[in-house]
Amino acid sequence: MNSLFLIILILMGGAVLAYIAKKVNPMLSSIVSFISIASAAAVFFLMTDRESVILHIGGFELQWGLNAYSWVFGAMVISMATFASLYSIAYMKGKDRLGYFNLNFTLSVAAMMGILFSMDWISFFIFWEIMTWSSFLIIVYNGISEGKIGIKYMIFSAIGGYSMLMAMVITKSQIDSFLIADLISSFSSMSLGLQALIGVLFLIAFSVKSAVMPLHVWAPRAYADSPMSYTSIFSGLLSKMGVFGLGIMLISVFSKTTNGNIFVYSEVLAWLGAITGVIATFYAIIQTDAKRLLAYSSVAQLGYIVVGLAIGTKLSVMAAIFMAIMHAIFKGTLFMAVGAVEKQTGTTDMTKLGALIRKMPWTFVASLMSIIALAGIPPLGGFVGKWMLYESMITSDHYFLIIMTFLSSTAAFLYSYRFLFGIFLGQEEKEFENVKEAPAIMVIPMIILAGSLFFFGVFPGYIFEPIANGMEYLGMGQVDWNMTVLSNGWGNHVDTLSIVNSILTIFGIAFIFLGLKNRKKTRYVTTKDIHTGGEIPTENENLTYAVDFYKPFERAIEPAMKRKMDFYYNKFGEGIETLFDFVRRLYTGNGQTYALYVVIFLVILLIFSEQIFF
Amino acid sequence: MDNSIWISILGFLATVVLAFTVGVFYGGFVRKITARIQNRVGPPVYQNFFDIIKLYSKKTAVHHGWMQHLGPAFAITASVTSLMFIPVLNGQGWIWFENLNFKGDLIFLIYMMVFGSLGMALGAGQTGNPHSAIGVSRGLSQMVGYEIPWVLALVAIMMQAHTTSITGLLDYQNANNTWMMFESPLAFVAALMAMLGMFHYAPFDVPFAPAELASGPGSEFGGKYLALMMTSGSIFAFVKLVLIVDIFMGGASNLIMLVVKTFLLYMIPVLYGIVSPRYRTEQSIRYFWGWPTFIGILGVLYVVFIR
Amino acid sequence: MPNDKKSQKIVDIIQNAARKHSLFVLAYGTGCGAIEIPPTMTSKYDAERFGIRGMATPRQADVLLVTGYLATKTLKRVIRAYEQMQDPKYVIGFGSCTINGGMYWDSYNTIKLLDKYIPVDVYINGCMPRPEAVIDGFIELQGLIKDGKANGAEKYKENIDWYRANQKKVIKNWNMPDYNW
Repeated sequence: MNSLFLIILILMGGAVLAYIAKKVNPMLSSIVSFISIASAAAVFFLMTDRESVILHIGGFELQWGLNAYSWVFGAMVISMATFASLYSIAYMKGKDRLGYFNLNFTLSVAAMMGILFSMDWISFFIFWEIMTWSSFLIIVYNGISEGKIGIKYMIFSAIGGYSMLMAMVITKSQIDSFLIADLISSFSSMSLGLQALIGVLFLIAFSVKSAVMPLHVWAPRAYADSPMSYTSIFSGLLSKMGVFGLGIMLISVFSKTTNGNIFVYSEVLAWLGAITGVIATFYAIIQTDAKRLLAYSSVAQLGYIVVGLAIGTKLSVMAAIFMAIMHAIFKGTLFMAVGAVEKQTGTTDMTKLGALIRKMPWTFVASLMSIIALAGIPPLGGFVGKWMLYESMITSDHYFLIIMTFLSSTAAFLYSYRFLFGIFLGQEEKEFENVKEAPAIMVIPMIILAGSLFFFGVFPGYIFEPIANGMEYLGMGQVDWNMTVLSNGWGNHVDTLSIVNSILTIFGIAFIFLGLKNRKKTRYVTTKDIHTGGEIPTENENLTYAVDFYKPFERAIEPAMKRKMDFYYNKFGEGIETLFDFVRRLYTGNGQTYALYVVIFLVILLIFSEQIFF
Repeated sequence: MDNSIWISILGFLATVVLAFTVGVFYGGFVRKITARIQNRVGPPVYQNFFDIIKLYSKKTAVHHGWMQHLGPAFAITASVTSLMFIPVLNGQGWIWFENLNFKGDLIFLIYMMVFGSLGMALGAGQTGNPHSAIGVSRGLSQMVGYEIPWVLALVAIMMQAHTTSITGLLDYQNANNTWMMFESPLAFVAALMAMLGMFHYAPFDVPFAPAELASGPGSEFGGKYLALMMTSGSIFAFVKLVLIVDIFMGGASNLIMLVVKTFLLYMIPVLYGIVSPRYRTEQSIRYFWGWPTFIGILGVLYVVFIR
Repeated sequence: MPNDKKSQKIVDIIQNAARKHSLFVLAYGTGCGAIEIPPTMTSKYDAERFGIRGMATPRQADVLLVTGYLATKTLKRVIRAYEQMQDPKYVIGFGSCTINGGMYWDSYNTIKLLDKYIPVDVYINGCMPRPEAVIDGFIELQGLIKDGKANGAEKYKENIDWYRANQKKVIKNWNMPDYNW
């Protein structure tokens, strides 16, 4: 049987089996889900035939296939999903309705793989909608309904889904085919207005999923309120489906427009992406809950990726897809770490937690590596993506975009530090004295993923190769890449091996020196033995600095944060309600008024009869 | 092959020793100049050497955890790695000083310079002292402030010289027989204003001021940790000075010119700082996002429109 | 004799020279004698030319200046600050109150002789000593360091029980942690 079909079948069958297996034993449900995803991963990586398969369902012809571009995303999706489902076995232990959770978990993964395998718009849309409602069902799993995040998510996803449907139907009416390849090849032969219409509709659909301003309002609470093992694939992988679609649109489709090489909406999208990066970072800095902080930071990182795609040069697209993969890895790890902390301590409020570094050292190491990658610091993988993005912006003259990206990237250091300090460093709290390290099943995926960040930072060529093949498939021409040397179009390059060598050498020397000098006379003291003016802190004295951590920064950026996007949506909603309220008054319930309306209508017809009927 | 490895190790050591010596002497010079301006004699110019040697020869050490061990290690890693990637002497300089100059560029350096402060912030966080945490939050907030005009200035000159590596900028200045500070003066002014923030002298020293915060992030570092921090701080001051001299003032072809140029450049933040009071954090952020950013934007527009 | 000048190794000579020329004073004014510190450190009498400067926290400082009388309440904090400092550390007793009780010799809650509670290296006499006297005391401390005789910290470690007994006699509400090095 064809491998693509087999993968989808395994995943969907695994979903149903997981639901049924819950009746036997709740843990079995999670294990079944993990086994199905892992076996799908095995089939994916071992498959040798990549031919397409055609299904005929109900009069429609669905075509599935795997090209070089979707292979990149497919590898990322299925491997992260494997790690997340392994983590989920231990994370969801003891919770109820596990069958429901695992059914939707596996269905989301199946839908994502289906999206990647689709070669025509009908199956794309079907899998897109499956993904939307399975993620909706998990958002409302915890039953939190303040702010009505489930409904908000559904509304925005519906806006996106129906825009895509409209664009698909318009395409079909123009070129009479649902295949994606046909849209790409015949895009240049459409009229300008039609190009703009289809382009904007598809962009709206994919921008909702990639949380670009102003369509991002569902993202922060949705990421924060779902269970953490699902959020690691929600913010890491589902948002990349939007990126996948944006890539197809911006690179293959729009480059064939008739007026030169620039599709003006790409510029708008680039600016929107940059603004998303800045504002979401500012919001992340003022959060006190670790989950919300990571959620806002996801929105900001997606902004960078959208900017990279929208600029459209070879280097920037490579940078965007590389950053997408890196983001999936480190955000997945960070959400897993927060989930581990939540499971062990029961809270993720950074004003209450502190000094978990001695009690959960492995979690700390994994989140430290992920935070270093998020901040874009060499030698880990995040630096490679950021370097390529900045270089592409300089070499392609987008100098104001680079300022906004740099502003948000520097401000990202603030919330990165707050995340680490609020949870793992700082003063010890009495109520968390007996916290133990998370179970091994939860720690192992985190450590493996953190190690891979380091590996890909030194040898980014392992990821460059599939991305370059994918970009060639999309029509960007030959893309050069090197295993360890990053280069931009002007001939400047950065050699990751020498960076790593020098960093590790000097770090090793300094660490050994610090460790060995006066080894016998170095003693460890607790965090209560600090300089407090000679006083001895008592048990109930609070020495933690956690509330209002960045108050000076908040005061400095106050003018930019006066209104949230929700405010404008609420105003828009109220305006429409007022309009409908006005319309309601037309129905007076009085027969004479209705007769008057009929008479007025006839009078208007008479007066304008020439214009209307001729 | 064996010979070149020995030469490169020797070059590495020579560069580090040069940076350390010059940096520590500059620290002493600053103390002397500060003292003279305040109408007193001041310590001898080699005073900082005594400080560092004394700190290294402390007999006991106190630490709060293994992250505090890593903090100074990160700081010195950042300083020395940045040093490796900056051409200390201009093209005709010794072969000994060409360390890793051709393997990295300006954007990598911007990130490498942040690596050290992040490491020290993590080390300071482990100690649990609230002063350290407040100092780190203020320091990071200020960093967002001065990075913006700094990056604007760098983008302007990178676009003008059409290269992003420092050796490329040096070649551009040699080829056109001019200094970058005359080619794009607005970018130079913006970079100077950002440099005031980078060196953490007054008026931007609120993260470290003893009267504010009991030394801020460095409150709990003593003995060998403080020694490593002071070493790294001296090397880092030298690194920043050489970077600005290389990209704006044409580099230096021998050691004497290097010392003269960097010293003259260093006097700008020092002399301005001696007579200034301290800004609060939000005042300094708003200051950096005001005139320096505006001049930086003008510098970028200037480059765009004269090309 | 390990600290005899002739048998000192070259490393010790360099280390003592460095310690002598750079003294970090803990900025802690414990009593009314602290009023003489600002003129000493600033422009008129400029102690910085000897390498003396103020540091904010005990972890970074070498010298603890006990300036003037010590109430028992302050003594507890001074002992805490002294134990947080790192070796080698020196204590300078300032003023007559640390020598024999000074002006408060018949008070019920000041201590009379500082050396019973914390090992003192140098005493500076006077009430209060003028800045010239303060600098003279520092130069005497520098001389002691050069000869290798300023080892109050070792005395504290060896005779910790005696010191503790004396401290506990005067400090009533003892909640300090135990000495563990």
